[in-house]
Amino acid sequence: MPEHIRFILFCILLAAGLILEFHALLGVNRFGFALSRLHAASIGDTLGLMLITLACVVKSGLNLLSLKFAFVLLFMLITSPMSSHLISLLVYRTDKEVGREAPIWKQ
Amino acid sequence: MNSITEKLKSFIDNGIDALDDEMLSELGAPETKQAPLKPEKPQRQAFHIAAKSRLGRCLHLCSGVLLCAALISLMLLTVSRLPAFGHPDTLSHNEVSEFYVENGVKDTGAVNIVTSIILNYRGFDTLGESHVLFIAVCAVMILLRNSPTDRSTLLSAYANGDDKDEPHDDLILFAGGRIAVPLILMFGLYIILNGNISPGGGFSGGAVIGAGLILYLSIYGYPASSRFMNITTFRAVSASALMSYCAFKTYHFICGYNGLESVFTRGVPGSIFSGGMLLYLNIFVGAVVAMTMYALFTLFRKGDF
Repeated sequence: MPEHIRFILFCILLAAGLILEFHALLGVNRFGFALSRLHAASIGDTLGLMLITLACVVKSGLNLLSLKFAFVLLFMLITSPMSSHLISLLVYRTDKEVGREAPIWKQ
Repeated sequence: MNSITEKLKSFIDNGIDALDDEMLSELGAPETKQAPLKPEKPQRQAFHIAAKSRLGRCLHLCSGVLLCAALISLMLLTVSRLPAFGHPDTLSHNEVSEFYVENGVKDTGAVNIVTSIILNYRGFDTLGESHVLFIAVCAVMILLRNSPTDRSTLLSAYANGDDKDEPHDDLILFAGGRIAVPLILMFGLYIILNGNISPGGGFSGGAVIGAGLILYLSIYGYPASSRFMNITTFRAVSASALMSYCAFKTYHFICGYNGLESVFTRGVPGSIFSGGMLLYLNIFVGAVVAMTMYALFTLFRKGDF
């Protein structure tokens, strides 16, 4: 791959990832309801992190470092939805008016 | 005369509140004032007075703010007087660190100089640190450990599903934990076993393993983890690791003092069995640290293993 194409690809991926992270930041600070904030935060944790890691791999080329990036990404993709799931479960159990923003199916 | 001594006695017992209320009632204050007669808290009277009057509260706040400002400015001054990072004239850059960097690999056979310092040059200090961890868990156990009846009610509450804080039959958690926990434990073992040839060692690897065990406890719940991590395991692993550390270090000191050749050779620097007994010492320290982390977590969480 020519060097300038690689650099442009890196820039595009990094910019997309940073835009997503910015949206996550904005949502966490601006939304009023816990589940909405959680939704915003998990955007940055999954797709934003994926794009930024991909940008780093593109920048450094395929080597041992990109394998480490892949491990970091895999670990974050496993653990971050788990923690989001637990937090949403806690909100669901403790919030009495959990369906005030959107209809939520109660067991 | 009698009433004055009574008043004084109540003042000694109950602080200034009781005196105020009695004086008010003698002066003919309304009856509703007498209802909240508080017989408790004689130890908080000084603070109570300070909070009662407006001036006292103001003084309290002002002194707190002044103290904080003084501390912050002191620390900022200290930071500004520190030498720059990497400057050759810093105090920490003296002949001791030069000695370690020059002779570390030759003396101990370990490529990782940090491990060779904390387990070989200063191995006695690390022994004390491991004992500090063990003693901390013992102190927490004295303070927080449940009685056997509490433990049985805890287990039955978990079995009946009354325990709202615990995840029960959570498919997402179980599936994630099946991938994450073995990875974390394996990575911790890797850090411990490679302590003499790459960054890491007993403390960091033990912390990783402890975190993996804590994750297992959080996901699979209390009965599942107490099958293999209970008080017996804690006692056996911690005590045997500490005693083995003592024994290995004693052997090391005796050999070194008398100029004898140790069984644990230095080996080829860079291979996994290099560095003499550093590998075994790393394993012992890691075991103690992992047990300590798990025990502290579970004692603070449930009061038992």
